[in-house]
Order: sequence, then C-alpha cells, then structure tokens
Amino acid sequence: MRFVIEHLKKSFENKEVLSDISFTFESGKIYGLLGRNGAGKTTLFNCLNRDLRTDGGRFFLEEQGERRDVRAEDIGYVLSTPEVPEFLTAREFLQFFIDINGSSEGANRPIDDYFDVMSISQDDRDKLLKDYSHGMKNKMQMLIHLIAQPNILLLDEPLTSLDVVVAEEMKQLLRSLKRDRITIFSTHILDLALDLCDEIILLHNGELEIVDQSNLDNAKFKGKIIDALREEHHD
Amino acid sequence: MIKTFRTAFLLKNTYRVNTILYAIKQIPLLNRLLPQAIYRVYGLKIFANILAVLWELVSIFLGKALYFATLICGVGVLYETVPADEVFAHILLFLSVIGSFMNTAMFNPTRDKYYALILMRMDAREYVLTDYGYAMLKVVVGFFPLSALFGLGCGAPFWFCLLIPFAVVGLKLTAAACSLLDYKRTGNVRNENRLGKATWLVVGLLLAAAYGLPAVGITLPLLAVAVIFAAAILTGAVSIGLIWRFPDYGLMYRQLLSQMMHQLDQVNRHVRESSYKSISADTTIVSRRKGFEFLNELFIKRHRSILWKPAVRITYICLFLVLGVLLAFFLRPELKSVVNRVLMTFLPYFVFIMYMINRGTGFTRALFINCDHSLLTYSFYKRPEMVLKLFAIRLREIIKINLLPALTLGAGLAVLLYASGGTDNYWNYVILVVSVASMSVFFSVHYLTIYYLLQPYTVSTEVKSGTYQLVLSATYLVCFFLMELRMPIFVFGILCILFCVLYCIVACLLIYRFAPKTFRLRR
Repeated sequence: MRFVIEHLKKSFENKEVLSDISFTFESGKIYGLLGRNGAGKTTLFNCLNRDLRTDGGRFFLEEQGERRDVRAEDIGYVLSTPEVPEFLTAREFLQFFIDINGSSEGANRPIDDYFDVMSISQDDRDKLLKDYSHGMKNKMQMLIHLIAQPNILLLDEPLTSLDVVVAEEMKQLLRSLKRDRITIFSTHILDLALDLCDEIILLHNGELEIVDQSNLDNAKFKGKIIDALREEHHD
Repeated sequence: MIKTFRTAFLLKNTYRVNTILYAIKQIPLLNRLLPQAIYRVYGLKIFANILAVLWELVSIFLGKALYFATLICGVGVLYETVPADEVFAHILLFLSVIGSFMNTAMFNPTRDKYYALILMRMDAREYVLTDYGYAMLKVVVGFFPLSALFGLGCGAPFWFCLLIPFAVVGLKLTAAACSLLDYKRTGNVRNENRLGKATWLVVGLLLAAAYGLPAVGITLPLLAVAVIFAAAILTGAVSIGLIWRFPDYGLMYRQLLSQMMHQLDQVNRHVRESSYKSISADTTIVSRRKGFEFLNELFIKRHRSILWKPAVRITYICLFLVLGVLLAFFLRPELKSVVNRVLMTFLPYFVFIMYMINRGTGFTRALFINCDHSLLTYSFYKRPEMVLKLFAIRLREIIKINLLPALTLGAGLAVLLYASGGTDNYWNYVILVVSVASMSVFFSVHYLTIYYLLQPYTVSTEVKSGTYQLVLSATYLVCFFLMELRMPIFVFGILCILFCVLYCIVACLLIYRFAPKTFRLRR
C-alpha cells in the first residue's frame, strides 16, 4: 500500500503555508516529519485528516496498483494533547468504540485484553476518564488507534510531556504497529526522530523532501538535517 | 505625569482600536472582503479610532443617562405617596454609596492596567494617579449635565443638582482612600469584582433602604441628603491627599492584576473545568444499550445536573405559578377577566419565555466540551452515517428534556384560560398546548442545528464563529421583539405551529446535506 500526496496546497489568506506538497509514503515505515516552528506540520496533518479544507491538490491510497480515496476510517490522528471523552470510564469508552467498529479486525478480543496490552491497571479501568492523568489518557488514545488499525497513523508530537517510562512504552508500541501501515510522526526532537523513524522528511518552504542518510553516521546525518532546516530559514 | 497620561491613553486607545478591528474581522462575509493585514490598513485604523473616541464620549454620558433614567427616575415615578424630589435624592444617595465601593475605577483590574503596569512596566504611581484622575474627571463631566437635567425634572433645586457630581466623586474618593488604608493595614487588596459575603449583605441592605423605604412612605429629607453630600465632598477632598501620597501602588497592583491575569488566562480552563464538574461521579450509572445509544444514555445520565434537573425545576416553577394564579382567581375573582383578556392575545410573549427556559446552548456546550471535543479527533466519529445517527439521537433527547416544562406550561395556560372564563372556540385550548410545545421543539432543533452546521468551538473550547454569534443574537432579538406583538391565540398559534414544522423540515434537510462536512473541529 502507498499513500500518495500530489500538489497539495494550503494558504491562510495570503500566506502560503503548504505551497506544493507531493510525496509518496510506503507502508511498513515510520516517517519522521521535521520542520521549524510554523513550517506547517500541523496544517499538513489537519489537511490530511480533512479538518481543514485544502486549496488544491489531492491525496489517495494505492493498493495493488488500484487508486482509491482516503476515507475517514483510513486515518488515525494522535494529538500531542490526548483527547478522550471525559464523561466515560475507560471501559465504557472501549466498549462504545468496539460497538461502533465491531467489524474491524482489531476489535474482536475481550476488553480486558486490550487494557493488558497497554498496561492499564485493573483499578483504573472503571475510572472516569476525566480523572486520568495525561500519560494515561495518551495510552487510551493510542489504544483506540491500536484497535481501529488505521492505514495511516498521523502522530503530532505524541511523546512530548510523557514520562520516560510511558514514552518508552509508546515507542515500543509504535514499532510493533508499523507493519502494514504508514506512520507519520511529527516531532521537534531530532534524537527521537532518528531513534524511531525509518525515514526523515523535512517540511521545507511549503514542500516535503526526504533527507537521504546514505552512508552518513548519526552525527553527520543530524548535521545535514540541521543545515537543511537552517537553509530554509535563510531563504 | 502628562507624558505618562499620554502614553497610557495611547496604549488604551491602541488596544481599543485593535479590539474594534478584531470585531469587524469576525463579521461573516465582510471578513472575506477585508485585507488580511487589517491591522496595518491606515483608513481602517482611522475609522476604528473615530469609533473608539466616539465610544469614549458616549461612555461618559450614556451610562449615566441610563442610570438616571431607569434606576433613579424610572423607579422613582412608581412611588406616588412621597415627593418626587425627595425620592430622587433618597435613591441617588444610597445608590451612590453602593457605587462608591462597587464602581471604584481604582480597584477594577482591567486589561489596560495589566498592559500598562505589568507588560509595559510603566511607573505605577504616575499611571494610577493619572488614570484615576481621568476616571474621576469623567464622572464629574458626565454627571454634570445629567444630574441637572434629571434633578430639575424631578423638582430638586438647582444648587442640589450642582452638588451631585462632586458628591458622587467625593464618595468614590473616600471609599478608595479607605480601601488604601485597609491595604496598608492588612496587606489585602480589594477587587471590586470579587466582593465578599459581608459586602454583598451591605449592598442588599443599602438597596433595601434605597427602594424599600420610599415604598412605605419614608424618604430622607432633601436637606439631609444635601448635608451628607456636602460631608462627602469634604471627606473626598481630604482623601485626595491620602491617595496622592500613597506609596505602594506598584505592589498593590501587582497583587491585584496577578489575580486577574490568572483569571483571564484561565477563563477557558474554568469553562472546561466547570463542564467537567458537571459530570456525575455516581458509579451506579450504567447503560445496557449499544453503540451511540450507549454513549448518549451515559451522557444524559451523567449530566443530569445540567440537563434534566433544571428542566424539572422549571416545570415545578411553572406548576407553582399556575396554581398561584388559580388561587388568586379564588381570592380575587375580578382578576379573571383581566387574565382571560391577556391570555387570549399574549401568546407571542411566550416565545420569549420559551427562549429563556430552553436548555439549548447549555446542552450544546456540554456536548462539545465533554464529548465532541475529544471524540471528533477520532476518525470513526466523523463518518457521515455516524454524525447523522448521533444527531438524530441527540435531537430526540433534547426535545424530551425541553418538552417537559413546555407541556406543563402549555397545559397550565390552557387550564388558566378555562378557569378564567374560557373561550368560545375550543380549538384555542388545543392550539395553546400544541403551539407552546412546538416553540419548545423549535428551540431544541434550532440550537442543535446551528451547533452541527456552524460548530463554533475551537480546539481550545473558545467560541470562534461570528456567524454563530450573529445567529444567537438574531434569535434573541426576534424573540424579544415578539413580546411586543399582540395576536389572538388562534392566529398566532397556527402560524407558530406551521413555522416550527417548516423550520424542522428545512433544518433536517440542511443537516443531512451539510452536517457530515461542517461538524468538524475548528482549528
């Protein structure tokens, strides 16, 4: 499966944020999306998630040579501030989600199994989500995406403000989830991107471009990325 | 000091001009015509500046004119047994005392003070003295013509009218000086927007003295009020020295403004937290349903305190009022004909009443903050069939909640109509009940529809849709002006029912056509 973006454009009034995004993502890989503050990473995600209307271009999925539109259920969008319905307990949220997505492949196990996967303790499972900590909410959000098994997983700074243990658990989980899907991971933390991602792409003057690591070691590769981002600033 | 005043005034003006430009930018359609860099356009800036200056001038006189016209003279004409000039002086005195500590200008933490003192680090003493001096000057200038106009109108002598502006300022100065002394002594800074229970009690007593005493024929003699006013001018003059010499404005304002900025930054968080608080922690609440019915049932049950409870409370109030009127019929049968006449033509009035008791925006706000705000980030929730399914369920629920008080009120009105002498046309009873119910259904549909079509909330739960605000204001205005309309039950009732049916059909068509696209998070 490939996720193809062609000539995607988005402006806010006269300010062109995404000028010409064209890129092909391949399944099974985690892409680290880097860019300076205000480069338009979140705008790109919002456009792909159809929370913002694009001004031009298109994006589609390609499966065995067949093109098809991206449907809402193809995309899982994980935000840096995890959003969960505060008035439900964790168990009720999962129950509701499984009711709605009964046909999904991932949604056919007993509820407690899912909690076990995320190491959410017995005591917490029947607590209202409004009483959950940031890290716990994050786990719930990831759990939903784990069950939904979207073809494209967009992650907007998902590991910032998590404690080291939860962050490590999340990293493991993302690695285990990457098969058969495209994961695009936006972050400001270069080391994290290098550690977790298979490819590094830069959002650069409103365009996406891949940074080729070829034979460079991590330190040199880092230097190359920083140089590329600086260049953007001087343009 | 003149330089400080000039800088502070310009700062305040810039802030006002930008607020006006921002407001203009929020107007639908107009915002597309305006350039992106609106804050840079010279012509628009001048226009906004003119508006700001006009507003400054209007604010000097308009508020005070309304104050005299309503709170003093407006209420004053109701007391027929006491002389008009004495009522005027009496009410004015007590309200001025209340104003001296509730409307101080000095202890009101406003944004412009925050910008000047905290962000721009202006000299606190100079800033406060010039700002306060200007505020007091505005009081004198504003009160001067209006106290003469209304005072003479009520028959008060001219010399008394001349005293008023200075007395009002004198009281304010005295109260400010007392608060400064209190701060010096205890270190507690007063905030006129956050009064303690004791202060509210004093306000209550003063209000009772202002409006209650004339009702039983007691007023202070005009001369006594004049003596108190003269004393206030004297204490005010003494207070000027104290206010002038007070050394700790910097410290005091940092304290006052830190409280306030804390509030400003957290306004949204407060809204959110109070929304979260409305979620019941009752662990016995469960649901045996599936899917969206499950979600909805839990939502309604866990938000009983803001949905069903107020509806039930209003129902009881309606019942109580109906029974009260029935009792009044029993005690004073002559009331019947008046009530009957009123009921036969006052149906349009009930549009406004239904508007007031409807749980529309409260419901949609809770829906957004506690439910949709988070779930809209999940793609399954945005699938068109899901959006429409949930809309239908929610519409059913909110109609049910609003219908309880509406049916009670409608039935109560029908009973009152019957008990007050009845009507020749029996259809009037039916139409009364059905039209009040249909008004309720209309409001339920209306609020949910505009919520789904305009989805006005941003990710940070602020309302950011000019169109939504306009629709809400228009709804209010229409309901408000309908109060003026007098029409027979039969005609207005039928029109009302027809309109509601038509509106519901159109709204549902629009929802099915557009909601899957419009029901999104605003970013």
